[in-house]
Amino acid sequence: MTSNHVIALTGVNKTYPLGRLKVRALTDINLSIGRGDFIALAGPSGSGKTTLLNLIGCIDKPDDGRIIVDDVDVTRIPLHRLASLRRDTLGFIFQTFNLIPVLTAYENIEYPLLLQNLPRRERDARVRRWLREVDIEAQAKQRPDQLSGGQRQRVAIARAMVTEPKLVLADEPTANLDSDTAAHILDLLAEINSRTNTTFVFSTHDPSLIARAERVVRIKDGRIAGQQTADSRQQEVA
Amino acid sequence: MIIKLALRNILRNGRRSAITLTVIVFGAVGLILFGGYKARTFYGLRESTIHGRIGHMQVFKEGYARSQSAKPLDRGLDDVTSIRKEIERDRRVKMTAAQITLMGLVSNGDKSETFIATAVEPAKDHAMNSQRITSGTDLTDSESDAVMVGKGLAESMHVKPGDYLTIMTTTTSGSLNAMDVRVAGIFMTGVKEFDERAVKMPIAGAQLLLQTKKVEKLLVFLNNTDDTAAVHSAIATRMRGIEIKEWSQLAPFYHQVVALYNGIFGFLGIVVFAIVVFSVANTILMSVFERTREIGTLMAMGTTRGRLRAMFVAEGVGIGVIGGILGLAIGALLAMLINRGHVMLPPPPGYTVGYRLEIMMQPPVLITAFLVSFITATISSILPALKASRMKIVDALGHI
Repeated sequence: MTSNHVIALTGVNKTYPLGRLKVRALTDINLSIGRGDFIALAGPSGSGKTTLLNLIGCIDKPDDGRIIVDDVDVTRIPLHRLASLRRDTLGFIFQTFNLIPVLTAYENIEYPLLLQNLPRRERDARVRRWLREVDIEAQAKQRPDQLSGGQRQRVAIARAMVTEPKLVLADEPTANLDSDTAAHILDLLAEINSRTNTTFVFSTHDPSLIARAERVVRIKDGRIAGQQTADSRQQEVA
Repeated sequence: MIIKLALRNILRNGRRSAITLTVIVFGAVGLILFGGYKARTFYGLRESTIHGRIGHMQVFKEGYARSQSAKPLDRGLDDVTSIRKEIERDRRVKMTAAQITLMGLVSNGDKSETFIATAVEPAKDHAMNSQRITSGTDLTDSESDAVMVGKGLAESMHVKPGDYLTIMTTTTSGSLNAMDVRVAGIFMTGVKEFDERAVKMPIAGAQLLLQTKKVEKLLVFLNNTDDTAAVHSAIATRMRGIEIKEWSQLAPFYHQVVALYNGIFGFLGIVVFAIVVFSVANTILMSVFERTREIGTLMAMGTTRGRLRAMFVAEGVGIGVIGGILGLAIGALLAMLINRGHVMLPPPPGYTVGYRLEIMMQPPVLITAFLVSFITATISSILPALKASRMKIVDALGHI
């Protein structure tokens, strides 16, 4: 893998047990993702896009094949020993936001920095910066149940970005938001991507989100059915 | 952050945490009240045994314990005055009291009964306050042929203060001797079997009856029970020709009560431990199930298994500390109210009088109650913590 790639998957297969049967979730996945990419994994429900995201995010293991994340072959290391890689290299944005309910917006964003043992002053500076970036300074002391869906997702984005990860994985980040809020969140993700050169990989079947992606990887029945860049999509439309 | 998260998660489901805390508080209060009652009982029994009957230690002539002689006072103390003087030199010694124990027959002219008499120095015996006089007067140094009779024996012999009895026993030379005595008073100790045989008489009268100048033993009373071993050692170093027994060697009943109460207290402790363990474990386990997705999120963000375990154990510690402190406060308050309430308990088996329920607030009891609450709550959280830390991240994130 060249240093330009953050992710490289080679011959990845994944099955899940379903009673006595084994269900193939992913078959022979080969995929490279470069630094600063803004990529959508698109496909219908059950196509395997969340499974692929989980494998890239080092929270699940493939049956076989290799997965290189930031020059580390993560398939050779047990998941519980990949905690530091997830902490320092990856950021996660979830469909259901997954904020810690007993922590305020500020504390939720601060949490990953505590895992990194950053000094208090640096933590505070970074948290305040990201509160500003996602425009929720006024809600800093509020807990998740006092925030709207859009505000919660902004907190989740700030939490994912505060450690300055190389790669952010977002699982259906706009699925639980209304269309206006979803558009704002998309603008925010795209703006962060272009400004910080952070790689974004998100699973979605939202056409508006797919339209904003630089590259779309289409997944169907656990296989990569095709890939399109923004240019090729424009040519198709033309 | 771990402590902050633990405290907030304890408050997260207030009702459930309140129920768990109530269980812990009940446990701690139970331990404090029973532990305090036990401590007061041990203290009261020890001090009443020492001051009312046996003294802090007893001094005998050397070889007394091994003596098998059938004659009374064959191994009695000859020169009690010099022994007493030597012992009382020690400032930790409050007083010494000579005693003789003798047995024989007592008769009212119509009927005879066996008796066990304790011959005492009346003035010293007043200080011991070993019995309750139900009628008549106490013994005096000036009247050597007066006796006090146990309530049960007095009823059996149909005597009242001012009546006369004849007592008969074997002298130190082995012959029989009898003596007419005036019943000065009737007393009770509360121990029914003892009161049915008990006679108390002045030591001068007993020596007259036994035809001797010896005494059986010298009771030594100290200002502080904690000095017993040290004074024993000091006397044993200074004096020859005597043997000393401490109160703990002379009070088998005290040790039986201690063993019984410790057994009950231990059993109670195990019951409290089990209840608290199951209650706290249940609370934290429920919390683990409810927070499965949250656990998945924390692990996805890079929280290590160890940190996750620490988070849940911290919740157990938090519940234990809060429960222990509340238990101490409520236990202390209840103990104070009980002590002020002058609650009387019925007589124990073999006794004829009840006694007051008192709770002694001793630091070891309070510390034990707190530690049991704290440690059990902490131990209870380990299994749920392990369960949480071993979850598969993908499964946890997909949990509904």
